[in-house]
Amino acid sequence: MANAADQERFPGHPLLPYVLVLPSVAVIGVFLVVPFLQSVQDSFYASTAFGTNTIYVGLRNYERVLASSDYRDSALATLLLSSFVIVVGLALSLAIAQLLNQKIRGQGFYQVAFIWTYALAPSVAGAIWALMFAPATGFVPFVVAELFDDYVLNWMTNGDLALLVVSVAAAWKMLGYNIVFFLAGLQNIPEEFVQAAKVDGAGPWRTFRDITFPMLSPTTTFLLFVNTIYAFFQIFGLIDIMTRGGPGNATNILIYKLYRDAFLYLDAGAASAQSIIIFVVIAVAGTIQLRFATRKAIYAR
Amino acid sequence: MKDIKWLLVGLAWALSVCLVPQAALAGKVQITWWHAMSGSNGKVVDAIVKDFNAAHPDFELKALYSGSYEETLTRYVTAYRSKTAPSLVQSYEVGTQTMLSSGAIVPVYQIPGMVGEKWDWAQYVIPITNYYQSGGNLWSMPFNSSTAMLYYNKDLFAKAGLDPNRPPATWEELEAQGKKLLASGAVKHALSFGWPDWQFEQMFATHNQLFANNDNGRSRLATKVLINSAFGVKVLDMWVRLAKQGIFIYGGPEYSANSAFQGGQIAMLMQSTSSLAGITKGSKFKVGTAFLPRLEGYPSGNSVIGGASLWVTKGQSKEQLRAVWAFLKYLAQPKVAVAWHKGTGYFPAVNAAVADLLNEGWFSKDPNSLTAFLQILSGRRDTAAAAGVRLGPFVQIREFERTAIEKAVAGQLSPKAALDEAARKADQLLADFARLNP
Repeated sequence: MANAADQERFPGHPLLPYVLVLPSVAVIGVFLVVPFLQSVQDSFYASTAFGTNTIYVGLRNYERVLASSDYRDSALATLLLSSFVIVVGLALSLAIAQLLNQKIRGQGFYQVAFIWTYALAPSVAGAIWALMFAPATGFVPFVVAELFDDYVLNWMTNGDLALLVVSVAAAWKMLGYNIVFFLAGLQNIPEEFVQAAKVDGAGPWRTFRDITFPMLSPTTTFLLFVNTIYAFFQIFGLIDIMTRGGPGNATNILIYKLYRDAFLYLDAGAASAQSIIIFVVIAVAGTIQLRFATRKAIYAR
Repeated sequence: MKDIKWLLVGLAWALSVCLVPQAALAGKVQITWWHAMSGSNGKVVDAIVKDFNAAHPDFELKALYSGSYEETLTRYVTAYRSKTAPSLVQSYEVGTQTMLSSGAIVPVYQIPGMVGEKWDWAQYVIPITNYYQSGGNLWSMPFNSSTAMLYYNKDLFAKAGLDPNRPPATWEELEAQGKKLLASGAVKHALSFGWPDWQFEQMFATHNQLFANNDNGRSRLATKVLINSAFGVKVLDMWVRLAKQGIFIYGGPEYSANSAFQGGQIAMLMQSTSSLAGITKGSKFKVGTAFLPRLEGYPSGNSVIGGASLWVTKGQSKEQLRAVWAFLKYLAQPKVAVAWHKGTGYFPAVNAAVADLLNEGWFSKDPNSLTAFLQILSGRRDTAAAAGVRLGPFVQIREFERTAIEKAVAGQLSPKAALDEAARKADQLLADFARLNP
């Protein structure tokens, strides 16, 4: 079994490497693989909350989920929200990081001021935004009413507004994290490159487009991935505190819908089917992102 | 080094010995109760449990806060499936059909017989027990019961030139008073709701209208909701009309609208009685309360009981069942029920406690806590429509109701179209539920 080459790479007992990786594999198996397989199985059954009756329904859970207009609305909301978080959030973070990278007075203060949002618990961030926009008592509706002739800004009834507010809050919450990484990326770009570009007569925009942005691509790729995961899954806390998926399901993103079906409505079959669908979507999106972005990313310098 | 290791082992052993519950050593019967009462209500629960244990040296009741109602139910389901369920669990009113169909519980009406006792079920307040009855028998023990009522701001009423002691009795009056409140500039909006979906259900029950077929799902499982009936559409039409006039402002689910009322931005709030203590304490104005407003020309029903009840897990030993029963009996003692009402604002569930409260003059000291009580006692007790609806997938259907209200108020759909959509989705879920629970 163990040939000479292996013996050379892994001195000691031939089974030692397997023993060493066993704990990690066991943890992954117990906490990821087994529950995943369980979900796959559950997705083919309909059952009562207490499991007293279970019926095999084949692909009906999937058909139901995919055919329901609620699910399509939920997918659309997720797409809009994640696009906002990724595109607007990342662009803004990069712009701010670029500004924070200037040698100015109070640089440390500004950096902390922008980064601290990441240290907030989602519940706290959600509460802040919810209070700011509270229809009858909030600061923002008050200002809007004063400025625009008593216009009623009510995100409890206006779904588009609610989605926008949640998107902004979500992007804002992630700002600090993105800025830290962009800042680190920016500070890793050798000064000579920028100097050389300046000498060659490149303006700030040209320098950014041809030097800074390509040099940042490993960071950007990483953040793209992290933000996608964030927008799909971790926004849960914000939604739960701010809108609970409402109004009219306008902010009922996929992960929140799944949670409600599983833990509020005790419908394990539908929830399992949804989790498998999200898994496939994320796996495909992640693979494409990594493939595409790593090919474009410049790691060597 | 080795000595330290052994010292640690010894310490761990000593600790684990100390942690073995004293009760087990004393040979007490142990039972566990999972509940969803947090904050000040949780403290009242703890006090009751402590007194119960002191009064019953043979039993050891452990009460565990297990999260919100939803979380408690989810945990109970998981625990039941892994055979580690507690003896007693608190479940919210919308979970009633889920618990009835669960096969996991013993109906409370059977327990006295099982432990060789007799019990007078007539001592409980009827509109409350009506909610939790099935086939004429009580399946769960009423614990924390509430209902909805109208709260209003007396100071704002006075400011708008209205009589602060004359809250609206009908929706027509409410509309007229709302217009005056707006015209006077006292407020920008007059009315909002807590639990808008529940308020929609309340409208059906207070006007004696069925919300679902098969006697509101009380004689057999409901297979069809009647929310898009002429009555349902009329109610939502009216709410949308009030919203367009600015009289009604939609305030979001559950308790989101409370802050607007407490801040004086709106003059009226339809909300659960369980908010009474919080609203009275947190408001700087005189709080008035009234019955839910009525629509003229419709029969009267009753306001629906909300809150939660206690369910007993089946398959327990006789000793455990005896302990559970001792606790349920303890809760029915007037002094316990009175303390529960005073501490939380929930209804006392037994008639004797109500009598004690009346004799003591409690309600004249705090007339607002009498309002909702009079409302349920003066309402009908003999129809399924007035007792409130019972649905299997109730939590989901309530979401559909709320979505319909939100879409209609936002002008996205007409009230009829919004309710049709909700009814279609609800009927599909009811069919699924019926298939799984034949």
